[in-house]
Amino acid sequence: MKNSLKFLTAFVGIGIGSTVCAADVKIIANESVGATSISADELKGVFLATKTSLSDGSHVVPVLEKGGPAHEAFLKDYLGKTDSALETYYRSLVFTGKASMPKTLGADAEVVAYVAKTKGAIGYVGADAATEGVKTLEMK
Amino acid sequence: MKVRTMILAAALSLAPGLLNAQFDFTLFDKSFQIHSFASQGFAYSNDNNFLTMNTSKGSFAMTDGGVNISTQLTDKFRVGAQVYDRNVGQLGDWHPQLDWAYGDYRFKDWFGIRAGKVKTALGLYNDTQDAEALNTWALLPQSIYPLDLRSSTIAHTGGDVYGEIPLHKLGSVSYTAYYGARSFDKYGGTDYLAADQGIPIFHDSGKTRGIDMRWNTPVTGLMLGGSFADLSEDRNGEWTTCLQCTFSIPGAYYRQDAVPDYITSAYGDYLHGKWHFAGEFRREQQTFNITSAAFSGVFVYNGSNQSVFGSAAYRVSKLLELGAYNSRFYFDQPNNPANTASSHIFDQVATVRIDLKKWWSVKIEGHFMDGYGDVYSAHGFYTRSNLAGLKPKTNMLVVRTGWSF
Repeated sequence: MKNSLKFLTAFVGIGIGSTVCAADVKIIANESVGATSISADELKGVFLATKTSLSDGSHVVPVLEKGGPAHEAFLKDYLGKTDSALETYYRSLVFTGKASMPKTLGADAEVVAYVAKTKGAIGYVGADAATEGVKTLEMK
Repeated sequence: MKVRTMILAAALSLAPGLLNAQFDFTLFDKSFQIHSFASQGFAYSNDNNFLTMNTSKGSFAMTDGGVNISTQLTDKFRVGAQVYDRNVGQLGDWHPQLDWAYGDYRFKDWFGIRAGKVKTALGLYNDTQDAEALNTWALLPQSIYPLDLRSSTIAHTGGDVYGEIPLHKLGSVSYTAYYGARSFDKYGGTDYLAADQGIPIFHDSGKTRGIDMRWNTPVTGLMLGGSFADLSEDRNGEWTTCLQCTFSIPGAYYRQDAVPDYITSAYGDYLHGKWHFAGEFRREQQTFNITSAAFSGVFVYNGSNQSVFGSAAYRVSKLLELGAYNSRFYFDQPNNPANTASSHIFDQVATVRIDLKKWWSVKIEGHFMDGYGDVYSAHGFYTRSNLAGLKPKTNMLVVRTGWSF
């Protein structure tokens, strides 16, 4: 019985740990972005192409990850869309001329490297990712 | 010429496909993107021929595609253009069109201007209806988005003002207001309908103005919207002899002015997990003044139609999506008896969508239609394709595959 409880506790613990880890993303931006924080509404607007600047006036360009836990968590927590729904949404903008397809990169390190060198770039990475050369925006 | 056009269209549509990605390049320090979409369909119906295709014998004449190029010239200014071509039965007939081409300057997120040829924001899908990859369905609800009549509202040459206004805890409202010259297509349903009635169109022009507003509600995934369009039309032509005509004055010139033609629409879209619900109601009120040297005075035509659809789709897996919709079109016109097959088209639809790749899908769809609408309503059923007359019910299978990059 004790062993069963230990197993159950460990199992639930792993589950909670995974959830916390998956939901924990950092929002990063190029050093040219003046803002030090961003609201959830602003973030959603930027990644749905309805917003191209932040409250301080900085022009921003979104960068996405192709997949993975940080990507899934970001979509769920901030955009409220599945990956396929987001893809459809972007295509609807592209085929009416309203926006370009955003840059999509493979992993945290690629996103960090791209954001570091691209003026106005804003992206997301896993909480544990190294973020040298970029600024981390706090969520308001 | 036709073969050359087909090859060109195919090449434009498939070139990015061969690259298996969108095509990006840099020129004069500016990044350009090229995107494309294409689809091929097959339709087989029991009796009536639909959308000018010979569907009762099975038809593959259902091909379309588009390709666009765009670039962001400055932080606030972008330009782009798209060419679209189609051959659906006799619709389009492989005549490429400039689908949109405009400059877009966004002063603020809540205020921007687009000028050029712009896709018209009207209802849920008017501006995106050509890219079949964006929808679950092989055919969008034909009550509101008839393939044969797409050109009458698809785009305008003029301008938009647009923006998104945050409402904080109440979500946000996005708006688009527009004014411009309408686009007409002589290879579309309006011209074919007129020709079938013995009143071929020589010239057609008109203006459109309207507004579309969408409330992105605080409920995640729920959007509600409404549109209004005021359309004018100045059409002229000449009566010809015609087997199906109820009235004809061969050789007489006629002129037809829309005074006015109003479209109002209310719609909603709700994305919740693996479920996707959508619905729209639309009403069109048309009044035409018809004058001719063959008779004195003005003949006034009054007609209206109401359309509605409701849809539900469920994403079973990355590969598979299932969906169904009910689409209803009601046509009111004084000479048309109510509650008959000629006063409505009801279409019940079930669809299986298979996403073989992120950029490639196959859709299998069953249509169960009741009614065929009126001789004045077009909406899929044409005299030219149904010379033996129309039966009240139509069952149809549509298989469509599409690519988009």
